Amino acid sequence: MPASKFGRSMQTGSLVAAALFTTLSFVNISFGAALVGETRRTELPSKTAANLDALKAQYRRPASIPFPKENPYTPQKMLLGKKLYFDTRLSVTSAQSCASCHNPGFGWGDGLAVGVGHGMAKLGRHSPTVVNAAWGAIFMWDGRLANLEEQALGPIQSPGEMNMPIEQLMTRLVSIAEYKPLFAEAFPGEDMSAKTLAKAIATYERTVVSERAPFDDWIEGNEQAISEDAKRGFALFNGKAQCSSCHEGWNFTNDGFQDIGLPSEDVGRGKFLAVLKMQHAFKTPGLREITRRSPYMHDGSLATLEQVVEHYDSGGVERRSRSDLMKPLGLAPQEKADLVAFLKTLTSNLDPTGVPVLPR
Amino acid sequence: MRKLAPLISAVLVGLSVGAALAANLTITQKGRMFSSESVSVKKGEMLTFLNDDSVPHNILSTSKGNEFDLGSLPPGASTDVTFKEAGDVLVICAIHPRMKMVVTVTE
Repeated sequence: MPASKFGRSMQTGSLVAAALFTTLSFVNISFGAALVGETRRTELPSKTAANLDALKAQYRRPASIPFPKENPYTPQKMLLGKKLYFDTRLSVTSAQSCASCHNPGFGWGDGLAVGVGHGMAKLGRHSPTVVNAAWGAIFMWDGRLANLEEQALGPIQSPGEMNMPIEQLMTRLVSIAEYKPLFAEAFPGEDMSAKTLAKAIATYERTVVSERAPFDDWIEGNEQAISEDAKRGFALFNGKAQCSSCHEGWNFTNDGFQDIGLPSEDVGRGKFLAVLKMQHAFKTPGLREITRRSPYMHDGSLATLEQVVEHYDSGGVERRSRSDLMKPLGLAPQEKADLVAFLKTLTSNLDPTGVPVLPR
Repeated sequence: MRKLAPLISAVLVGLSVGAALAANLTITQKGRMFSSESVSVKKGEMLTFLNDDSVPHNILSTSKGNEFDLGSLPPGASTDVTFKEAGDVLVICAIHPRMKMVVTVTE
C-alpha cells in the first residue's frame, strides 16, 4: 500500500509503566494484598449527545504513521522487511511466508475461518489482518505479545505455524547471498540477527495502511460519498448499537479485550490475565477493509456482516465473563441493514500490492 | 476471585459519595485514560479509583504485595484502594491495554 501518502513520525510519550507492563502478561493474580474498600456510586455530569460534527471529528484519518523511537522508519528497512514478509523461506518447509496468512489479496488476512499452519493443520483462530498494525497497542487475539517486533517473530517460531527455530532461520538467511547487503544497508554496523529481522518486518508491516474509503470522504465533508442508509448506520454505530464503545476512532478499535458472548471454549486473554472478565475475551479488531476480511470474529464463526450484526443484537451467550456492554439491543430490521450499509463504507479501493523479487 | 456484584448492587440503590472523595487522591479514567501516569502515596494511604468514563473499566494490579482486582465497574463507580507494601505498583485496566499507571508506595 502506498505508505508514501502518509508522513512518518516518531511515536512519543512512552509510558512510565511500559517496562513493568511487559512482565505482567503471564502472572496469575492472588488477590487481597492491597485493601479494597466498598464500591460507591458517584453521580457523573449528565452526558450531552455529541453533535454530528464533533462525532465525525473523532474519525478523521491521521496524517502520519507512528513508528517507535526504538525502530524508526527507513526506506532500506521497509524494503528488506517487505522481501522477508513475502519470503516463504522463513518457514521450516519453505512453503509459507507471512503473506500466506496475511495476504494483501484478502484484506491482509487469509479469507479462511481459521488459519492454516505447519503441515496444513488448521489453527485455532482466525488470521487477523495486519492493516493498520502501526497503531496497535498490543498484539495477537489474546494480547500475548507487546509490540509488532515481537509479533513478527511469534508465528515464525510457533511449531503450529511456520515452525522455524530462529537460529536455523538466521543460518538459512545468511546462506542466501543477496540478503547480506540488504541487511547491511538497513542496519549499518549490526549483524544479521533475529532482532534486525524483526525490526525490518515490523517496519514493513507498519506501512500497511488502509486506503481512503468512502467513509473518509464523508468525514471530510463530501455528503455524496456515502448513502443515507450508511449515515443512519453511523448514528446507530455511535448510539443505540453502542459499537463505538469498543470500535472507536478512525481505525475502529481501542484494542480492548471483551468477551462478546461467542459460544467458544477458547478462554483467549484469560490464559494470560486470570481475572473474570478476561475469560473468553479477545482483542477488539479494527474494521477497516472489513468487507474483504470475512469470515468474521476470532474463530471465524460468522460468515457475513449481517450475521455479525445479528450476534450483537442478540447479546450473545450469557455468562459471568461476558462484557457488561453486551446485551440485547432490540434493533429493527432496517436498523440492522443501516449498520451493514455503514460498515461497507469502511472498505477502500485498494491498490494492488506488488510482490517483491526475492534474494537468491 | 472477588465477587463484587452484591456490593455494586448495594451501592446502586442509593449510597452516594460525599466529602470522603475529596480527602483522597482520586484517579479518574475518562477517555480510556488514567488521569495520572504516576502518583506517589505513603504505605497505608488510600487511592480512589473513579470511573468517570462512558464504558466499564476493570482496574487491577498484579504487583507483588499490592495485588488487587476491582472487577468490571460501570461509569459512576468509585472504589478506594489502600496499598500495604512499599514499592512501585503497576496499575492497569484489564480491558483497555493503553491504560497503565505506576503508584509509588513509600514508607
